[in-house]
Amino acid sequence: MPVRVRGQVVRIRSRPARGLPSLAVTIGDDTGSIVVVWTGRRAIGGITLGRRLIVDGVPRRVGRQLELTNPGYTLLDERRGPVQEHAK
Amino acid sequence: MKVVIAGAGNVGRHMAVQLQQSGHDVTLLDQDAGVIERHRRATAGATWAEGDGCEIDTLRRIGLADADVIAAVTGDDEDNLVISLLAKQEFGVPRVVARVNNPDNEWMFNEMWGVDVSVSTPHLLTGLVEEAVNVGAFVRLLSFAQGRARLAEVTLAPGSPAVDKAISNLGLPRESTIVALLRRDQVVVPRGDTVLQGGDEVIVLVTGDAETDVRRALVG
Repeated sequence: MPVRVRGQVVRIRSRPARGLPSLAVTIGDDTGSIVVVWTGRRAIGGITLGRRLIVDGVPRRVGRQLELTNPGYTLLDERRGPVQEHAK
Repeated sequence: MKVVIAGAGNVGRHMAVQLQQSGHDVTLLDQDAGVIERHRRATAGATWAEGDGCEIDTLRRIGLADADVIAAVTGDDEDNLVISLLAKQEFGVPRVVARVNNPDNEWMFNEMWGVDVSVSTPHLLTGLVEEAVNVGAFVRLLSFAQGRARLAEVTLAPGSPAVDKAISNLGLPRESTIVALLRRDQVVVPRGDTVLQGGDEVIVLVTGDAETDVRRALVG
């Protein structure tokens, strides 16, 4: 079931798997958090700590967390509204 | 559980029959209408669907969003990878199992492509053959938890540093544990005071980076 989540980047972790890079970004607000995994990447332009964004994807439960894999994302800027929209 | 099997070759069909007979709700997907026509009555009541598993619309049509497990077991590694990634990324399927046809491709069958469990027949067979013939070598049998834990086997050679030692004196690292001993066709449940003998087949569970130390303790 697809979801749309708005939040702030609270943690960026590198999660390599057998030598191949991937990025695990925790997005949250004071109601909770979700982990977004981008496979095959070490960094995503615009994804920095504190950045607000919206992600669109289908979550999976991994342990106690929900994870989205390679979702669509829209970077937000507080003052001007959506800055950049990235479809998959 | 709802299981989707992509690829209705021998492997997929056998899996379907086994799983359906165990009470799971199985859907078999294949692109070839001829295959479907020939086999649809011989799969214990599994549901059949025709289509290309690499297309999102096909996966949506067969209800993948409700599946608990998908097994991508076609004879084409590229297809198995694409199906796995789509299943993980677009449908959030909790468990994605994929078949590796060509062992040279095995390095790709992991989280990068949405694969939780990869199965390579040659790899499994090699492990079993090695287990049968190797004395003194450290043989990896099975890995799970996305490679974070491994089951391995060592048949203790006469010169092994572990012979005549009690398990608690082996100096095994904390991230490992001996789970069973096979001695002259008997299974021995190991305890700290069990003394190892030459010829013992030691089955050990290794997690993290402990493999080197376990190897040193059992093989030398």
